[in-house]
Amino acid sequence: MIRVHGLTKEFDDFNGVFRALDNVSFEVQPGEIYGLLGPNGAGKTTCLRILSTVLRPTRGFAEVAGINVMHDAEAVRRNIGFMSCNTGIYDRMTAREMVEYFGRLYGIPEEQLQLRIEELFEILQMNEIRDRLGSKMSTGMKQKVSIARTIVHDPPVIIFDEPTSGLDVLVARNVLQTVASLKEQGKCIIFSTHIMREVEKLCDRIAVIHRGRIVDEGTLPELADRHDQPDVEELFFDLIRKRDSELTEVTVS
Amino acid sequence: MSWKNVRLIFLREVRDQLRDRRTLFMITILPVLLYPMLGLGMVEMMLTFSEQRRVVVVLNADQMPTSPKFFDESGINEKWFSGGADDASRLQIVTDLSVNARKEDDTGDRSGSKENSPAQLLQNGKALAEKLAELRKASDDRGSSDNLSEIQDRLSNAFVDSGLQALVIVPEGYARSIAALQDDASIGVDHDNDPPRSLLVIRNSADDKSAVAFSRIQGALNRWEDELRAQTFEKAALRPALQKPARLQWVEVARGEQVAANVWSKMFPAMIVIMALTGAFYPAIDLGAGEKERGTMETLLISPARRVELVLGKFGTILMFSIGTALMNLLSMGFTGKHLASAMAGGMANTVSLELPGVHALMWLVILLIPLAALFSALCLALATFAKSTKEGQYYLTPLLMVIMGLTMFCLSPAVEITPLYSVIPVVNIALLLKGLLLSTTQSGALVVYVAPVLLSSLGYSALALWWAIDLYNSEGVLFREAEKFDVRSWLRSLNRDKEPVPANHEAGFCFILILLLQFVAMSYMRPDLSGSDVEAGRKILQTTVIQQLTMIACPAIFMGLLLTTSLRATFRLRMPSVNSMLMGVGLAVLAHPLSIELSSFMVQSGILPPPPMEGLTRINELLQSSELSPWLIITVFAVTPAICEEIAFRGFILSGLARGGRLKIAVLVSSLMFGIIHMIPQQAFNAALLGLVLGLLAVHSRSLFPAMAFHLCNNAIATFHAKSGFGIEADGVFFSRHDGMLRYELPVLILCVFGVAAIVLSMVSDLRKEQEVKRANAMKAFNPPTKFARQMPAGA
Repeated sequence: MIRVHGLTKEFDDFNGVFRALDNVSFEVQPGEIYGLLGPNGAGKTTCLRILSTVLRPTRGFAEVAGINVMHDAEAVRRNIGFMSCNTGIYDRMTAREMVEYFGRLYGIPEEQLQLRIEELFEILQMNEIRDRLGSKMSTGMKQKVSIARTIVHDPPVIIFDEPTSGLDVLVARNVLQTVASLKEQGKCIIFSTHIMREVEKLCDRIAVIHRGRIVDEGTLPELADRHDQPDVEELFFDLIRKRDSELTEVTVS
Repeated sequence: MSWKNVRLIFLREVRDQLRDRRTLFMITILPVLLYPMLGLGMVEMMLTFSEQRRVVVVLNADQMPTSPKFFDESGINEKWFSGGADDASRLQIVTDLSVNARKEDDTGDRSGSKENSPAQLLQNGKALAEKLAELRKASDDRGSSDNLSEIQDRLSNAFVDSGLQALVIVPEGYARSIAALQDDASIGVDHDNDPPRSLLVIRNSADDKSAVAFSRIQGALNRWEDELRAQTFEKAALRPALQKPARLQWVEVARGEQVAANVWSKMFPAMIVIMALTGAFYPAIDLGAGEKERGTMETLLISPARRVELVLGKFGTILMFSIGTALMNLLSMGFTGKHLASAMAGGMANTVSLELPGVHALMWLVILLIPLAALFSALCLALATFAKSTKEGQYYLTPLLMVIMGLTMFCLSPAVEITPLYSVIPVVNIALLLKGLLLSTTQSGALVVYVAPVLLSSLGYSALALWWAIDLYNSEGVLFREAEKFDVRSWLRSLNRDKEPVPANHEAGFCFILILLLQFVAMSYMRPDLSGSDVEAGRKILQTTVIQQLTMIACPAIFMGLLLTTSLRATFRLRMPSVNSMLMGVGLAVLAHPLSIELSSFMVQSGILPPPPMEGLTRINELLQSSELSPWLIITVFAVTPAICEEIAFRGFILSGLARGGRLKIAVLVSSLMFGIIHMIPQQAFNAALLGLVLGLLAVHSRSLFPAMAFHLCNNAIATFHAKSGFGIEADGVFFSRHDGMLRYELPVLILCVFGVAAIVLSMVSDLRKEQEVKRANAMKAFNPPTKFARQMPAGA
């Protein structure tokens, strides 16, 4: 469903060329939640933005739902749902208008769209905010609208980029439950976060990513075995420290 | 591209804007309220406005003739003013008579120390009169000019300090001299021995107050002189008709609506430009930078809508608001103006009818508003997309507004009319055409020929701006621009550290601006001294040309190349060209020469380009004709030097910089435009821009600067010999002819040249296209799946 190989992204900035993503490879299957775990600035968002075709890779191969992101960006976008802390909702649109607007951009036939909206608003318990403007919503409500917007076209691949950041525990719990239920429906899901507990709870496999590289990848028990560290949090820090020391060695030599 | 998506985005954006109170206020409430409020305010101001009295000091008032009597007890008799008592009350007349009289009235009661007391003013007036007498004496004595100007300075300073706005000096014996003149006239004799004295009025026209006082007193004196003349004629028994022998009569044919048309033809184009711009700007900021700021940009980018569709939808919205704002403002302004004029008509002597322009003219207004609004909408959208935040977006408005205001001001001048050249200059073309069309309906027949070029060029510019906006939407750097901390030191460090083989786009742009600025600064210093014999002057012209080429064109490019790039070879394309490329360069120069001569002559003759200034041209021509300068010298200066210097700058640094990123077409186009612009004189600029296209193509195709240099050298050398002698070719009427002694080319030659140039250019373009395709295919390989995936893929996928 998602296949990434040797993906690299470089940015030009005042300090020269910055490599945000360095030769990253992984695969995600349908019905699986793949966790990208890494500190802020690790390259998670860059990687996911490339998968959503908003950024173009410098080199490497990325394929979503069988489509190369460099070949047919629109088709890729039609097959994914993408939600991140950067995908806000419009202040001057009601919940219903927002979901409807994106549904129409996805080209869903009108009748089907209306049914889908009814269904989504029911599942996500959004009926009381149906006609409320974005500017008048609480963070939790906005998050619900965002989720509805992400899955209105029932995409086979869904990408969540730190969907719980800045949310209170109740709302975060709701989001996680929704992600879990989407997995039940057989979706192929990438879930990026820097919160270990979420990974533990949700993800089938995880990749620890730091400074643009995947440090290690596998199921949690596999990783715990391999690094001999049963505590998830300690495991995470060990892997990050390992990558940091690798980099310092490179620069020293 | 799906128009359904464009429509969806458009409708959403419009609804979004209509839900925004600020936008609604800007486009509807503000214009509807603003103009009536302004009108009301203006009426109020006019009611409370009272003009300050201006001080006029009259010396020797008792010397004025008693008949007709200029002064009365209160000052100047009000019958000499066109506005009667009203005008008379606006001048405070201080005469020696009135001051003396007052002194006797209230002796000791007043301290003379008050600064602007009549006595003090009179004193100042007398001092001024003395200074003036001194000046006149000095100039009569033919004193040194230094001395004179010093006295003049003192006089004008004293006038400024004196506190009076005009000084009238009646000479001693003025009444007597006039009486003597009249007596002489009545008996028909002419006594030369006592020449009539003149009455002096001193003013300072640099001071507005003085100018007002002067024009008032001048009017009064003129009227008084008319009366005096009538009296004199009567005494001399001459017919009154002789007083005005020329019998001038001024006839006004303009009717009320034409006067109105004149007012509107100035107001509407200016307003429409400014309002279309402001109407576009605020929605653009909201739709571009606002989207980034509110964090909805990425939401939109991950929808399946293509970037083109996003831009078009947003552009449509901005366009609608721009047109709406402009129309609302014009309507409100028109009706307010009309209402105000009719309301005030009762109280005003000269009624100004501000009847709105006819339906015909208003229709043109709406038609021309569309391309104008489209240009502004696309420009604003591009700028707003570039901005990180709405605040940053606001910063970009000021320069845009300044430029547009400057262009509009230029169009307001009554002398400026639409010409073929102006009809393709953005904003100016629409403003001028609109001005012409509103001015008179009879003239509009002649103006209709400009409609097509104006509309086409404006739509072209809008398309360019729109294309820029779409390009920005495809640029990751622009969409995900983070607020980076800018500090000069780290920027300078990065300039030095992150050098690349060829310059960056903006460095190329900066190089061009530097060259332009150097030329501008040097404009007054680099004028060759043309005194001396022709040969001497000629040598100076040649010298200046070489210095200019070396210091202002080659130098900036070479220094920037040394400082900012790592490879001079790559930047200045110092590669060995193939023999083929060199031959192409030379061949193109030979073939392009007749075309460029005929095309630029045609452009000048048909009035599309203004003719070159004759003065400089004849000078250069004389220089070329003169046999005393060796032809080798002339070729070195006019062909070799520019071929090296200009190519180093334009096809070297600038083209290499612009072409970085692989956009060859735009790089060649922009560099040739820049090359045109530095040639200043329109005809030369046009020629240079066209030749610049060929030069750019040559440089890009051969990857070497030398074919371009060869082309440039041959081109200039051929042009020089063409101007000098026409290669000694005789006019045969079939291939060649001569106009004004200049060799001209006839159609057969031109057709041959067109074929030749087209063949070479097309072969170069097709080579480049093939090359680009290979390059693109190679680049795409980086994104292909690795072989282990490829094998897994089902057949046919």
